[in-house]
Amino acid sequence: MLHYWLEFEESMGKVWDKYLNKKVHKLHEEQRVYFEDISKPLHIFHRLMGGEKAKELRITDKRYVETSRTLLEKISFLGKEFFLTWQDDESVYIPASFAYFSTKEENEMLYYWLVAMAAQVENITNNNLIEKNQYAIDYLTKRYSGFDIFYKNATEYLMDKYEQLSFLKSLDEQSNQALIDDYPNPLWIYPRAITLSYANNIENEEEPTREEGKDKSEELQMKKQANQIDDKHETDGFLAFLPESLMSIFEQVNVDRLEDDSFDKDALYHAEDLDEITIGQKQANLSSRIKMDLELLQDTTVTYPLGKGHYLDEWDYKKNDYLVKYARILPQITMNVIPIELPQRLKKTVKKIQAELDILQLNRIKNDRLPYGDELNMDAWIEYMSHQNKSMHHQNFYTSYEKKTRDMSTLLLADISLSTEGGITQDIRIIDVIKDSLMVFSEALEKLEDKFAIYTFSSLQNKKVYFNIIKNFKDKYNALIRGRIESIKPQYYTRMGTAIRESIDILDRQQSSNKLLLVISDGKPNDEDRYDGRYGIEDTKKALQEAKKKGITPFCITIDLDAKEYLNYLFGSNGYAIVRDGQKLPKVLTEVYINLTK
Amino acid sequence: MSKNYYLPQGNEVELFDASASMNLPVLIKGPTGCGKTRFIEYMGERLNRKVYTVVCHDDLSAADLVGRHLINENGTFWQDGPLTKAVREGGICYLDEIIEARKDTTVVLHSLADYRRVLPIDRTGEVIEAHPDFMLVVSYNPGYQNVLKGMKPSTKQRFISLSFDYPKPDIERQVLVNESGVYEQTAQKLVDIASEIRQLDDTDIQEAVSTRLLIYAGKLIVKGFDPYQACMHTIVESLSDESDVLEVLEKLITLHFTKHDNA
Repeated sequence: MLHYWLEFEESMGKVWDKYLNKKVHKLHEEQRVYFEDISKPLHIFHRLMGGEKAKELRITDKRYVETSRTLLEKISFLGKEFFLTWQDDESVYIPASFAYFSTKEENEMLYYWLVAMAAQVENITNNNLIEKNQYAIDYLTKRYSGFDIFYKNATEYLMDKYEQLSFLKSLDEQSNQALIDDYPNPLWIYPRAITLSYANNIENEEEPTREEGKDKSEELQMKKQANQIDDKHETDGFLAFLPESLMSIFEQVNVDRLEDDSFDKDALYHAEDLDEITIGQKQANLSSRIKMDLELLQDTTVTYPLGKGHYLDEWDYKKNDYLVKYARILPQITMNVIPIELPQRLKKTVKKIQAELDILQLNRIKNDRLPYGDELNMDAWIEYMSHQNKSMHHQNFYTSYEKKTRDMSTLLLADISLSTEGGITQDIRIIDVIKDSLMVFSEALEKLEDKFAIYTFSSLQNKKVYFNIIKNFKDKYNALIRGRIESIKPQYYTRMGTAIRESIDILDRQQSSNKLLLVISDGKPNDEDRYDGRYGIEDTKKALQEAKKKGITPFCITIDLDAKEYLNYLFGSNGYAIVRDGQKLPKVLTEVYINLTK
Repeated sequence: MSKNYYLPQGNEVELFDASASMNLPVLIKGPTGCGKTRFIEYMGERLNRKVYTVVCHDDLSAADLVGRHLINENGTFWQDGPLTKAVREGGICYLDEIIEARKDTTVVLHSLADYRRVLPIDRTGEVIEAHPDFMLVVSYNPGYQNVLKGMKPSTKQRFISLSFDYPKPDIERQVLVNESGVYEQTAQKLVDIASEIRQLDDTDIQEAVSTRLLIYAGKLIVKGFDPYQACMHTIVESLSDESDVLEVLEKLITLHFTKHDNA
């Protein structure tokens, strides 16, 4: 009996809940549009609208607004949390989904509207909230008839559904600030929630061994309201208190968020659920910071050094001279690799690229003036006829088209420093994309029958610049090479200049008249010693100049989004490509190559 | 009345006039559809010189420029190429997209592009001295970077260089009105669209929308096409094949020109 009663109560509860939600939310669930689905077009749109190119679009977290709630809203505890659009120097933060309007088109339009607004509005604060927004709205509605219609309809609809928004009707003469603060307008851009200035102001009595914990929180896709507490005194435990309307439970556990940078999906999940993330200042003892790598699979591959290495010069910009035989290059090769076939996941891309190459017929080369061939060359024959002394003239009248390797040698130099361990998405690391790119690229070049070589590099100061041989120019591309590509592991640092000089030497020994040096990298040149910042960049620049002097064309493809400035300096404005979507690297790399050489 | 309409963007007309009077060759670089060819045609008319245009491609041989022997019923005879014709008779020889031609082809220009102003023809053994009205003009689009192609520095350094870009909004609007006959207001919208698209860089689209495409859009609109449709078929579809980019560009067009489904 009780059982039935409980079930009845539960279903009644559900109905009530649904009723309240519907009544209060007035949302159109079936027309909900998610940011995830249109994030890429929105990114492009943001740039199109004149938004700063380096800015990211991210999902925002809810924030609490002191609103005057209707009775129903109070009963249902709803109407207090809001997802607002705001921005800082790095990103624009947008709600994860919208369902305000009755059609998908309008909900989607709201995203485009907010992105356009964000591109117009700058330095918004609570004081200039109205002027700034109003200014942007005026601009957008005047310039775009589409936005004009949308804005009018949307405002009307929202004011109708949410009576608190009726202040919008008389915004110009509106002096009641409280009314405006009362209920946020989904069409506006808002200031950022809490600045972290408080967090920065806390005196750090203990030795500051790490930078602010702020950096680590970037792992989260959404920005949390950050709060910092002073936990230097032990007050671990369980705290319960009654905020305004409902009892909530806060848990204080000593989790070292400054140190714990392991990516944990669970943590992310919980972080989304928590209202606030509190960051303490406590740090783990040094002794507990040792990272254990015991669970790694046993690796059978062995890196085998080829000789004792040799020394190359390095450029010191301060002395404005070379440091003669300063950096030691250590060529090595990975042994015991297992030959593999082309991975299934790449087959489609490779097929597509090869089909493109077929259309381009890049490898069809016309040979004129042959003693025999496919077609008669009229010019050659007429020239012969017009020549006074025919016996002195050659009789090569034919033209033929043949598949022939182009006179081209390409050296691919990939940066495999530790930073490539970083993730592009949660599952894919930069190094994985580099490996995939190398394979796809090799397949394409093999098809073109162009000569190519692949090397990877990493470094530990000037005495150890590892130069891994994946494929020499004379090696045949086969399963073993694929195996070597697969066995690439990120390690150490990026002494780029030295690796480039070694590549120049190798390319210089090739007979081709066109030589291309393709560098794939994920960041600036750097090493443990002074090879960082300007020193590294100047040395790399010098190395690239040496390459150009020897008739080698350098080109860089990078996944580093902030790269533009130094790449421009290193490679020149036409000498590099930035790949925003790392997963497109395999395709882009090949396309760049075709464009460069067609 | 001039048949070529050209609205100067800066000092290019004066520079070209001066170069012509001093017998200096001119190099013009700029993105596609920004008015390079139109400028040359206009200048040809202004200076009252005939323009010989050669569009370069990778199969272009020196013989295509200089000339070759041909046959008729009497045997072979020599036929001047466009370059030789201009050199003999005076006129502007305009080599469009010179980067597309192989480097060895463009070397024949060297003796013409410096103080010597002569064209030696090996096949006939002639050395032609250039007519006082002969002028050499080349153009290329620096956007397409290519390892195998590109101008030799030794070729490049023989020219007075003019760099073209898309016209400023006011000028572009006027050009649109003049060329396509659209209303000022529509022209302004098209220019707005263009200025927005030109904010994207080469990672999104290969090259930004040209003035030429805007004129096409204007012409379709004048012909009675719905502005949305006109822009879709000229601007949007011509710029990219990538679905994300297309989606955004279409959105941009709908924001400016409301879409009519019945059109």
